[in-house]
Amino acid sequence: MTEKRNHENPKQRWPIEPETHRALPPREQPGYYPGYRTLDQQKAWDEATRRKVLERVEKIPPIRFFTADEAQLMAVIADHLLPQDDRVPARKIPIVPGIDEKLFHGRTEGYRFEKMPSNGNAYRLGFKAVEQMAMKSYGKSFLQLAWVEQEELLKSIHDGKPKAGADEIWAQMELHRFWALWMQDCIGIYYAHPWAWDEIGFGGPAYPRAYMRLENGEREPWEVNEKRYEWEAPEAVLSDPDEKETATHSEHPAQGQGGTH
Amino acid sequence: MKTPSDIEGAGRGEPHRLGSMQTVDFPMTRYNESEEIDYVIVGVGAAGGVLLQRLSRAGFKVIGFEAGPFWDTERDWVSDETGSHKLYWEDLRITGGKNPLTFGANNSGRGVGGGTVHWAAFTPRFHPSDFEVYTRDGVGADWPISYSDLKPYYELMEMELPVAGPAWYPWGHPHGYAFAPHPTGGVGNTLVKGCTKLGIGVSVGGPVAILSGSRGKRPHCIYRGFCLQGCKVGAKASTLVTHVPDAIANGAEIRDLCMVSRIQYDRRTNRVLGIHYIDRDGRTRFQKAKAVIVSGYAIETPRLLLNSACDGQENGLANSSGTVGKYLMAQAGNVILGRFDELVRMYKAPPAHVLTEEFYETDARRDFARGFAIQTVGPLPVAFAKQMMAAAGAWGWGLRRVMMDYNHWSAFGLLGEILPSADNRVTLSEERDQYGLRVPHVNFDLHDNDKKLIEFGKKKVEDVMRAAGAKEIVQESRFAHLVGAARMGRDPGASVVDGFCRSHDIPNLFVCDGSVLPTQGSANPGLTIQALAARTADYLISQGTRIFSSDRREMIAPPVGKKFVPPDTFLGGAPRAR
Repeated sequence: MTEKRNHENPKQRWPIEPETHRALPPREQPGYYPGYRTLDQQKAWDEATRRKVLERVEKIPPIRFFTADEAQLMAVIADHLLPQDDRVPARKIPIVPGIDEKLFHGRTEGYRFEKMPSNGNAYRLGFKAVEQMAMKSYGKSFLQLAWVEQEELLKSIHDGKPKAGADEIWAQMELHRFWALWMQDCIGIYYAHPWAWDEIGFGGPAYPRAYMRLENGEREPWEVNEKRYEWEAPEAVLSDPDEKETATHSEHPAQGQGGTH
Repeated sequence: MKTPSDIEGAGRGEPHRLGSMQTVDFPMTRYNESEEIDYVIVGVGAAGGVLLQRLSRAGFKVIGFEAGPFWDTERDWVSDETGSHKLYWEDLRITGGKNPLTFGANNSGRGVGGGTVHWAAFTPRFHPSDFEVYTRDGVGADWPISYSDLKPYYELMEMELPVAGPAWYPWGHPHGYAFAPHPTGGVGNTLVKGCTKLGIGVSVGGPVAILSGSRGKRPHCIYRGFCLQGCKVGAKASTLVTHVPDAIANGAEIRDLCMVSRIQYDRRTNRVLGIHYIDRDGRTRFQKAKAVIVSGYAIETPRLLLNSACDGQENGLANSSGTVGKYLMAQAGNVILGRFDELVRMYKAPPAHVLTEEFYETDARRDFARGFAIQTVGPLPVAFAKQMMAAAGAWGWGLRRVMMDYNHWSAFGLLGEILPSADNRVTLSEERDQYGLRVPHVNFDLHDNDKKLIEFGKKKVEDVMRAAGAKEIVQESRFAHLVGAARMGRDPGASVVDGFCRSHDIPNLFVCDGSVLPTQGSANPGLTIQALAARTADYLISQGTRIFSSDRREMIAPPVGKKFVPPDTFLGGAPRAR
């Protein structure tokens, strides 16, 4: 229902061309590297990598941890956390099945913050919090809210100033760590997908062939030149501070967790 | 000494590949459980791999126990961030305190090679000052050994791994590297530019334990950028490719997928008798040994000692001082990210290949002791997106937008010394893991000196990023590496092991890994851990069977055992030309 209402006006959900103020129709491949396809290079990859990456594109894991309702709710939340309305439906990267698979197998990142429940419980508490906040602030279920209302609600979690309704849940679970859990899981799936590599111009796997042009951002012969275009975030969106306001960081910015050095 | 009681093949019917050219010499020795072997090493990582190689080459019967698998790099590893999670220690750890540490991909390895499988292989030495921080600055602790004790082992390790770097390295004890430095990647270009503009000295193309020229059965680097996901090429040093093959060729056994749960202690003799472990089929077993070396790194080592508490060792093994688990350290690892108008493409080349140690030493003009280094880091897309989430609060369309500019960003890492503190410690939680063992709880707080150092360091790195030409700069607070929690020292009342990594309390129990470091400097700890392991091995070899029977603690440094190094150490070579 929400989907239908929002799509009646594409500018609510689609990026906007700044000159004409028209909604930009979804593309096969957003980003500034038109025609670049990492998968075209798969013959230059080793077998184990090729298998892993192709499996990610071709095999979507079944939903086993989330209930059907939870999966539906998570899909809408993920559409806000990592929106893909600039992608044609066939080229959207499935996020929820990947989160579900990780939770189903009980996989962690190798630690749990002492004031956090297990990841599975954190997700379930999060769903409850979102529903309670929606009821308290708007008198409706989260899925019944307008897109921009959903954005407002989620942004309040991002900003570390959650809308009322779930205080007892945030007392059990640190807000900024919960937000980071959501975001990191979505990121770990979206930016692991070769279509996202194409979007950002990442070279992708390079064994056994190698990279040879290392310096000053030179491209390999099989990489393509950057071709930028201007776009603004959709109208019903609060997550692009360039467009809407200056960046608001949560009070306790999430600490980095990756291994970089 | 060596009479393998049972020999069997790996049973895979095809060679076990370690990198693109090297295979391991199976069949591997298999010892009987009932047989009392010489050394059990718990954990085949940075230190464990070196110890296993040295002790087996010297003729000891030795088994390395490893909780994770014995990788076949061609079959098991992928050029992919999300697909490489199994390289990291993902068992539950609970993390708390005011500045909780994170583990897993950040600093904890699993499988043969341990953390060296996914390290960036940056290998600067510690400075002479690092060994006497307390004497010089009145903070931290002194080591029971000095830089000159470790220097020959730095030199040895730089040949064994080997380390590529400039011919002249000006900081600490100045030295040069035998293997040529690497070409610079886009992220290195920006750090060189920023430092040069500000008149800050910079080391280009190393020191990094990645081959710049082929040697033995290992080809040179292909600059694919996936160093932290395991080097399928075999160019990056990990003990899996540098020391394990020689260990196996010399009769060492690696018992992989075996989690050591407890060390058996005998109160009557005050000696350890062996280890209890859970094998790959979930069965609890016992391996007898004449001596035990714990090389599980800074969380699992204290955890195992604490989980081994028993009659006569009620506070945990080798813990009469109460210091097991205490003085855990991580380095400040803030990442400063800068956006450039021009393209950088930071995914190419080893992430760490340019650094400056210009700010390493205590400077009286600053209001804190000790210092920091600045190094390149080259986050791949998933890591970079998570950094933008943490550093800039990016989400939704804002995240999509900044990620479309991935190729315009560069990233520098601060590597800052955090001082040891008794309240930064590993204890046991009441929760249990999949083996039924109590999981570690880690407390970590920053203190005054640490906070001042980080603030100053962050600003300095931002200055360099600005000087390099970045138009937009954000920073992410995080920590890098782990050391301490079973520190070495002269005083048995304030440390766990002596200068040869032997526990003060139990004569045939050793701890040899990053956990023995009393302080950490602002150099990546990997090389120092491996140098310490080589020195400890020389000591054990020089002591011979006395370790197994005598309680006498000989504190005389052994001769440097050059004859025990892996075969290609002092040879060059072009493997493809063979």
